Amino acid sequence: MAAGVVWVALKGHPLGVTRHHCSVGGPMGMLRAVCPHGPPWYPRVRYGTPWVPIPSPHRSLRFHPRSAPSHSAGAMVVLRAGLCPGLTEEMIQLLRANNIRTVVDFVSSDLEDVAQSCSLSYKALVAVRRVLLAQFSAFPTNGADLYEELKSSTAILPTGNPSLDQLLDAGLYTGEVTELAGAPGSGKTQVCLSIAASVSLGLRQHVFFLDSTGGFTASRLYQMLQARVEDKEEQVESSAGPLKAVLIDSVSAVLSPLLGGRQSEGLAIMMQLARELKTLAKEFSVAVVVTNQVTRDSSTGALKSALGRSWSFVPSTRVLLQGRAVPWEDGAAPHTACLAKSPRQPTGMQVQLDIGSDAVQEQRPVTPTP
Amino acid sequence: MQRDVGSLPLSPALRARLLAAGFQTAQELLETGPCGLSKEIGISREEALEALQVVRQECAGDAAKTAGGSGSTRKCTALELLEEEQTQGFIITFCSALDNILGGGVQLTKITEICGAPGVGKTQLCMQLAVDVQIPECFGGVAGEAVFIDTEGSFMVDRAADIATACVRHCQLIAEAHQEEDHLQALETFSLESILSHIYYFRCRDYIELLAQVYLLPDFLSEHSKVRLVVIDGIAFPFRHDFEDLSLRTRLLNGLAQQLIIIANDHKSAVVLTNQMTTRFGQNQSMLVPALGESWGHAATVRLIFHWDNTQRLATLYKSPSQKESTIPYNITLLEGSQEYQDVSRLTSKFTGNLCPFLLVPVLHSFCPSC
Repeated sequence: MAAGVVWVALKGHPLGVTRHHCSVGGPMGMLRAVCPHGPPWYPRVRYGTPWVPIPSPHRSLRFHPRSAPSHSAGAMVVLRAGLCPGLTEEMIQLLRANNIRTVVDFVSSDLEDVAQSCSLSYKALVAVRRVLLAQFSAFPTNGADLYEELKSSTAILPTGNPSLDQLLDAGLYTGEVTELAGAPGSGKTQVCLSIAASVSLGLRQHVFFLDSTGGFTASRLYQMLQARVEDKEEQVESSAGPLKAVLIDSVSAVLSPLLGGRQSEGLAIMMQLARELKTLAKEFSVAVVVTNQVTRDSSTGALKSALGRSWSFVPSTRVLLQGRAVPWEDGAAPHTACLAKSPRQPTGMQVQLDIGSDAVQEQRPVTPTP
Repeated sequence: MQRDVGSLPLSPALRARLLAAGFQTAQELLETGPCGLSKEIGISREEALEALQVVRQECAGDAAKTAGGSGSTRKCTALELLEEEQTQGFIITFCSALDNILGGGVQLTKITEICGAPGVGKTQLCMQLAVDVQIPECFGGVAGEAVFIDTEGSFMVDRAADIATACVRHCQLIAEAHQEEDHLQALETFSLESILSHIYYFRCRDYIELLAQVYLLPDFLSEHSKVRLVVIDGIAFPFRHDFEDLSLRTRLLNGLAQQLIIIANDHKSAVVLTNQMTTRFGQNQSMLVPALGESWGHAATVRLIFHWDNTQRLATLYKSPSQKESTIPYNITLLEGSQEYQDVSRLTSKFTGNLCPFLLVPVLHSFCPSC
């Protein structure tokens, strides 16, 4: 709908881009696939033919029931019998004899030449190509459609802590991965419990809490829930909502033994996990919250999130929690939260968090994007 | 969920070839078979067979873990957890103020870490807990056994015997006061010999022995299913001296922490660790912080820091998922029948490191919960 080219790339992790969106100016609109970090992709622009969507690493779930939702190098998928109907073993052998081994080779080659050299029917080849494109490529949509889609699918979940909501620009956005990092004792588990309490009680939706540290205490959660509910009769309604929040308390506890040293697979496993989390958030419209540790920067001595630079691209919002450095001395500094990375708010914003007060929070009206 | 080829433990050259040929998941590799694989990548049959062997092992390992082979990934609702927690007991420390700030005592299925300067009473508390875990249920205990892993050699058997005697005496007093049938029955099996025979003592001399012991502990615990407490006295000691590669140390400690969490959860036991203190230089001043670095701080669920304030000992709850941060004073006293003897001043000279078991009488002053 927009006249010019509106280029909105939803950023995935460094190894892939989830979807390309662009509005086509005209029948010869060029689709330039820009993937700065990914596998070698090249723009395939052919004049004279209707534009060809470029094979993307993201395969939509509905087309291919067998595929995993995320792939690191979808463009490099080898042609195999059964990949799509109409692609038989003999076809593959003939194509291979002509040096066409992967999907990209097939889709970007001139089908008339292929039909001649492999002595296959042109129609069959065109049919196969159509199916492969439908499976492997990304379809562009324009910015307005994207906006409409986001308006209906994204929700903002309140965290139960008004100052944290202020920091996160009204709450946790579904479809995104948010990270809470902090030193031990800074309140990460408490914030996660508070989010779980607020989402399950306030919004009546299921929460999935994955605990890898042993810090989940059901009695504390119960305490928080009791503090929030004004009258007990409200509790009778059972929660029927779908899953909207996935909380992972300490992703670094399980990943840090794998990183470093001579194990190069650790990084690959970490990135696979990152891909799965982001796809989970996007496809099922849930808000994923992960907790991370902090390390000291060797040069400046400041605290920064653990798991290294590769992980720092994964969450779209990062909050650094800080408690007291030496709690047994006087001069209690309260817990603070500082915004380290955000697509919506200026970084460096700092608020004071009120962890551990069981005062009744005033019920926040749920504000989904209208 | 499929494993990526990039995350399998194959040699980098082989991995690069597989990726160039277009293989992405482990499943595709297994489907192709060794002949197809050797043809596609151009390696020999034997190499292909070896590679597939490795892949098969990895996938089998993953499948076993995700199928909940040892119950390592447990799925349950918060309500079930709440019910479990409410029926779980605590291991009391015989110091009421400490029990209060901990919320009842040392919690089962959680890792508690006790940090403190030398001589402040960490090992004594560990020995106290090893005795207290065996208190029968009718007296408010957990009726379990204890595993004591010692890396510093500070476990004194005569000390433990003194503590055990005092504990038995204590329970006898309660039984006399209440005169109930099950109390007297429980007292028959609760004696000095039985207490000492249910403390399983392991001595580890370096970090490799410690790691091996912890990784072999699940087998031991499945044979002795009544164990409810695992104490590692001095987890910092083997890791602090003679370790050149600090990143290796961090990795080993993180792996150790995960293993301890598995042990705590699977066998429903409390894990208690003691840590040393080290100095950190801030901008203008230096302060004492627990040793082993920032990343180790995440391993323990509950952290207690013992420190001095002139001559008064203080305990601070620094990290806990369910209790507030607070500080309480405590003393180390001797309880021998009705005699009480506080000798705090002599204990302050302990930084020489020489523990004389007869002067040092650390049974934390008791406050019987049911009296």
